[in-house]
Amino acid sequence: MSLVSMSQRRITRHAVTANHNDITVRKHRPDYIIALLALVLLALGFVVVYAISPGIASARQVSEQYLLSKQIIAIFLGIATFLIFSVIPYRAWRQSIAVLVLFAGLLTIGALLTPVNAQYPAHRWIRFSGLSFQTVEFLKLTLVLWCAHFISMRALRGELSDGQKTLKPLLYIIIIIIGIAIIVAGLQSDLGSAAVMVAIIVCIVYLAGMPLKRFLGLTAVVAASVVVLLAASFVVPSLRYRVDRFSTFLHPTSDCQNAGYQSCQALIAIGSGGVLGKGLGKSVQANGYLPEAANDSIFAIIAEKFGFIGVSLVIVTYLLLFSRMKRIMLLAPSLYARLIVGGILAWFSMQAIINIGAMIGLLPLKGITLPFVSYGGTSLLFVTGALGIVFHVSRYTTFSNRLDTQEENSSVQRDKQRPRPLIVRRRSA
Amino acid sequence: MLTNTYESISTKNSILKQRITLWYTLLIIIFGIFTARLFYLQVFRHDYYQRSALLGQLKQYDIPAERGTIRALDGSSVVPLVLNEKRYNIIADPKLIKDPSKSAEILAPVLSLPVNDLISKLSENSRYVILAKKQTKDVHVNIKQLDLIGVFEDEVTIRTYPQGELASQLLGFVDDSNKGRYGVEESLDALLRGQDGRLKAITDQKGVPLLASGDNILIDPTEGDDVVLTIDVGMQRQLEDILKSGLDAAKSKSGSALILEAKTGAIKAMANYPTYSPSEFSSVADTGLFLNASVSAPLEVGSIMKPLTAAAALQYGVVTKDSTYYDPSRFKVDDATINNIEEDGGAGVRSIADILQLSLNTGATWLLMQMGGGQINYQARTKWYDFMTKQYGFGSKTGIEQGYEEAGIIPSPTEGYGLNIRYANTAFGQGMTATPLQMGAALAAVINDGTYYKPRLVQKTISKVGFETIKKPEVVRTGVVTPQISKEMRDLMNYVVQKNNRPAVRNGYTVGGKTGTAEIAKEEGGYYKDRYNGTYLGFVGKDNPQYVIVVRVNEPGVAGYAGAQAAAPLFAALSNMLIDSFNVSNP
Repeated sequence: MSLVSMSQRRITRHAVTANHNDITVRKHRPDYIIALLALVLLALGFVVVYAISPGIASARQVSEQYLLSKQIIAIFLGIATFLIFSVIPYRAWRQSIAVLVLFAGLLTIGALLTPVNAQYPAHRWIRFSGLSFQTVEFLKLTLVLWCAHFISMRALRGELSDGQKTLKPLLYIIIIIIGIAIIVAGLQSDLGSAAVMVAIIVCIVYLAGMPLKRFLGLTAVVAASVVVLLAASFVVPSLRYRVDRFSTFLHPTSDCQNAGYQSCQALIAIGSGGVLGKGLGKSVQANGYLPEAANDSIFAIIAEKFGFIGVSLVIVTYLLLFSRMKRIMLLAPSLYARLIVGGILAWFSMQAIINIGAMIGLLPLKGITLPFVSYGGTSLLFVTGALGIVFHVSRYTTFSNRLDTQEENSSVQRDKQRPRPLIVRRRSA
Repeated sequence: MLTNTYESISTKNSILKQRITLWYTLLIIIFGIFTARLFYLQVFRHDYYQRSALLGQLKQYDIPAERGTIRALDGSSVVPLVLNEKRYNIIADPKLIKDPSKSAEILAPVLSLPVNDLISKLSENSRYVILAKKQTKDVHVNIKQLDLIGVFEDEVTIRTYPQGELASQLLGFVDDSNKGRYGVEESLDALLRGQDGRLKAITDQKGVPLLASGDNILIDPTEGDDVVLTIDVGMQRQLEDILKSGLDAAKSKSGSALILEAKTGAIKAMANYPTYSPSEFSSVADTGLFLNASVSAPLEVGSIMKPLTAAAALQYGVVTKDSTYYDPSRFKVDDATINNIEEDGGAGVRSIADILQLSLNTGATWLLMQMGGGQINYQARTKWYDFMTKQYGFGSKTGIEQGYEEAGIIPSPTEGYGLNIRYANTAFGQGMTATPLQMGAALAAVINDGTYYKPRLVQKTISKVGFETIKKPEVVRTGVVTPQISKEMRDLMNYVVQKNNRPAVRNGYTVGGKTGTAEIAKEEGGYYKDRYNGTYLGFVGKDNPQYVIVVRVNEPGVAGYAGAQAAAPLFAALSNMLIDSFNVSNP
């Protein structure tokens, strides 16, 4: 709490008047704490990857430097992306949303047509002259930006509950996401990311203030789709692995040798860590026992190394980061800005929940990274980039309660074709 | 819906803010549940998971002790017969090999294996494929330089044989599971093997121990002892050569010969033919080749038993060296008839010397009769049985340091049918079996003033720290015969050689011996009419006997009696070799 009040004081002290374009909210000192918390998580991830890289290198038959140098590059690129995104005016995303969506669509189609790396069936990569790129990460960011744009627009026009104009397109999007997850699951198999994307949409709609009745209806449709998906898993042979994961989820230690192997090894890593952990260099499970020790399973390794105390601190760090993002949402200068931050928070939190939940045996394994901590370039790049956008928005937080009335005005004014929302008329009057 | 006033916006915004807070509260609850779950796993269930972890992570390894070497005397120096050498099994994990055909092409010239074989091995659906076994250090260096992903090496120790096939059946070999098989390797396996050490360690998933931790336990191995054999390598080599050429000359396919030091029981040379190369034991199809026939293949020894029968009769005092008797050239024993099968067996008055020189079956039968007071009866049978088993040690193993030693069979004097005729047969070496080694050890006792030494192959053992244990000659019993009778037996056997085996006679040396032409029993009972084993039992020395020699020639193809035609020349060659090359003197 003292953090909050301190930064509030700073905001007033360092506040400057921003006067570029038509934004009338004063630009002020950004929320450095979110950057600091993200750095803590990045550093933790790096230290853990550093500590376990010899074991992983020997298990995967690659050089120790291979993993480390890739992670260092990823972190530097991530910080660079953060810095760039933190100076891009958030309205710019809205202006270029059509280009982003088009680009994301093309990338997804391209990725679906690329042959899959058999070693990692749960990740869809585009390989480009030695570099690999996980398209789904770009897709998540684009979805946040588009959805925030679309929903804030509909909300300002009072069309949030409009079946034709709002709910229909949203359902299409959700069906496309789940459809891709089902149809190409044998190839793409990125159910975790599909869940994150659906969560982003649901959260944004919720935050935009959709009446509870409608919102629950939408959620019901999503739940129904998930049931259909699970049912399909039991029928389509190429989805058998998901059946395995699901039954592993129901009985985590019933089949430790085969389908439940990763779950069992994760629980062993976590449980054997105890209260204080085995120490940074003392992890055993990373030496070939626990699959994906640096990526999807890094939380279990942290639990083994640093114990209950250590993982509790990690969870507290996430909650602090989320609480700062919550605060930025509460004080957001516009509904659009709020929904961007809300979408990003939905993304981060959902991904953390799915990842940690799977490791501690409360959720089925999904093959998804732990934001900021997991090894993996693309994920890191887009997570830090997204945080850069949040960081940018934090420069424009306001204590005024007059949400939606300024920036939306200007943006809608540019769009002369569309009927002006009442709210704008009310203000100009 | 269109009632958006400034106030309603504010109201709406506060509703939206409530939603944000509600959502954040939900997140806190979820992470709170996660924390509780972590507390359960890491605090309450820690012991369980710690045990599960150790179950998978803690692995136990044997640290193999280095096997002792086997050496032998060569004159006064000691030379190695069996040494250890590090070799390398080349292993692949096909899962890590991305391009089997490319890897196979790289490996093929190094391992000297066909590319196609390697491709199929590297494509197997397995994580452990042995590509090549027991590769040399050169291959190891080459493989290391290639540094191929998915190709590993496993260090193994193999036995090497600097003397080639020399004494192979006596030495035995070490099989792939590191167990001594046959010969000295099997008999002294525990001594040579030592005690494996043990490492309990936390390992990675592939089983490579991680850094030392409190859970690691290390017990150092105790290396095996080196063994120095009584064998004289030079003598052994000459004996093997002589055996081979002697068998060739006798048109025999197989045979054995051994040289025993009469006054210590030490085996100086012992070989069989055919033999095998111990370094290539795995390619030997007939496992019978692994046996040391001199200790593992008892046979009906034939007439070489007669000197031992005579010595027993003399020792019992039922005859003297000058005793004579009338030999009717055949004896009826119960319903059967004992005939003399060798040429000189006509009727007439015979002496003990005649019995040996003419190899009279009737004479041996007569000696047995004397033990029974003139006829073969219970007393004769038990006396002869006692002498054979208790004095000569027939029917039980000598305890020589060899695997698969056989005891031979001496028929019971009191149980069964036709005991008298059966015992009459044993007096000239039929109807019973003994190994050449048992015969040699028994003769050694007879000519060595009656002291029976345990036959042995080990001179000394040397622990890896240099502590030597010298094996002394082991007296099993004394007084097998009196020194007087011993002298008489030497003279009698010397007489036989003087008369029958002129090539073995050497001025200034005492050479004694006796031939044997043993009938071969059919498995279904009875004897083959046309198949014999030639045997020879003898000794060589100056005034005192120094070496006992036993020769066995299986089914020679030359005409005449097997003992005289096939075994006697071999004996002569061996005794002359000893006199010429090994300084036969009075010990």
